[in-house]
Amino acid sequence: MSLFRAEYRKLSRRKLFPIMTLLLVVFVGLGAFFLIVFGEIAPEAAEGLPVLEKPEVYEVGAQQAATQTWYPLIFAVVLLGGELSTTVWATSLTRDSRKVRQILARFSTYSVATLIAFLVAFAFWVVLALIFAPGEGFMTGTQLVGVVWKSALIAIAWTAVGTAAVSLLRSVGPAIGAGLAIYFAESFLALWDPWENVSLTAASTALFTVDFGGGGFAGLVPGGGLETWHKLVIIAGWTLVGLALTWWGLQRRDA
Amino acid sequence: MTTGSPAIRVRGLHKRYGRTHALNGLDFDIPRGQLTGFLGPNGAGKTTTFRAILGLTNPNEGEIEVLGMPVPSGLPEIVKQVGVIVEEPGLIKPLNGRTNLAVAADTLGFGHDRIDEMLDFVGLSADAHRKTGDYSKGMRQRLALAAAMLGNPDLLILDEPLDGLDPAGQHAFRARLRDLAAEGRSVVVSSHDLADIEALADYVVVIDQGRLVTEGPLETMLGGRNTRVRVAGQEEAAAAVLEAAGYEVHRDDVGLIVVSSEGAAIVEALARAGIYPDEVRPERSTLESVFLGLTGMTVR
Repeated sequence: MSLFRAEYRKLSRRKLFPIMTLLLVVFVGLGAFFLIVFGEIAPEAAEGLPVLEKPEVYEVGAQQAATQTWYPLIFAVVLLGGELSTTVWATSLTRDSRKVRQILARFSTYSVATLIAFLVAFAFWVVLALIFAPGEGFMTGTQLVGVVWKSALIAIAWTAVGTAAVSLLRSVGPAIGAGLAIYFAESFLALWDPWENVSLTAASTALFTVDFGGGGFAGLVPGGGLETWHKLVIIAGWTLVGLALTWWGLQRRDA
Repeated sequence: MTTGSPAIRVRGLHKRYGRTHALNGLDFDIPRGQLTGFLGPNGAGKTTTFRAILGLTNPNEGEIEVLGMPVPSGLPEIVKQVGVIVEEPGLIKPLNGRTNLAVAADTLGFGHDRIDEMLDFVGLSADAHRKTGDYSKGMRQRLALAAAMLGNPDLLILDEPLDGLDPAGQHAFRARLRDLAAEGRSVVVSSHDLADIEALADYVVVIDQGRLVTEGPLETMLGGRNTRVRVAGQEEAAAAVLEAAGYEVHRDDVGLIVVSSEGAAIVEALARAGIYPDEVRPERSTLESVFLGLTGMTVR
């Protein structure tokens, strides 16, 4: 428990979390502007764009927020990388007999913070949708719970990728580069059928059932054809591989 | 833990980074219960040695024992008994001093019961609720020392802790380190500043270019070995007499330096030859002169 308390205290006073969360809200807000607000304020200019109506618009928002997977990647890299650059924390992370607990405390804290950031961005989308989106209705309780656990799974898996990158490379700059390379490469590879079966991007995106008003859009989403159990296996697999590589990367000396 | 062993024992340590040989067969012992100065010019390999001792760098060859336990297999136990300040102290600037210590205690697996005592020890009780971002460098170094002391370690390893501190900060920090050595802890302080170590250490290890230059008690290294002899106008005759008596004699602008601490015997030898010296006194070397004498180098 003391390890979690320490991680919470470290994170709670750092500017990184509010700044990155603000950036995430801006990104999601831009999406909301084009998909919700633009059609309302300039209907002629928005002709041809899909019209998102309530209540489907909320699920789209949840997907838009939770698939900003650059957030957990960069967040984990910067936080863990910062610790690895100081000997005291590096020693505790790499040589402490409680190394697994040290890693899990950080991993859990970063994942929870990412989940909170996703939910804040989703809340911003919801506010815009409530004001501007046509139609009636809101998400059911079950759907809201779904948003939380799906967002949590995505946060966990991509955080594990971020911690693995910085543990292996031991340097924030190269690890951010590697993380973003994975992010973009995965986004493209997810469109390739053989890779789609193991793609974290595909599994993350397709956790949310989004069909833009029944326009057949769901079929175009990477991973749209995967069964739920398949998506969960992909996410669990990436998480476990990420954590194993994190452990191994920190075990190595001299990286 | 083997109590009879040195605090740190290093044998044949090699570390290469590409074509650069950072450590080149380094051997030394750090005694227990003393304040040891780990001295060398910039780039001598001090930080690399510390990183190897803490298991953060993998040496290419060689053996390391810390508190009688081998590195790397003993590291999980070693890190519980060693306090460290190497490179960045690892303080979190938005947090106040007390919370920084609480975070360090939680992360390193120690209780909070020594936090007040350590704040008092480093003289920061009154500033414990200020953000460490507002601390002076000396205050941050003292807080880092308090963090390193939270686990009540047997061995403290401090890399250049006096670097960048103003004279008052250096004085306060040195006083804390002497207190720790007086309690019987083994304290290792690295520095490239010869005067820092001379003012602080009981025992000195000097390295350069990844090799041991010398090691031993500071007093033995500095004092009691030489005798200064002034004999106005008779230097050559006096030197001949002393050399004939078996002493090693050096000349400088002031007079003669005899490599011996036997002042009475030197006077007797000169008096027998009818030479009565103006001054005979023990010549205490500076660490810098010892360093230069041993290496034939210019201090960088």
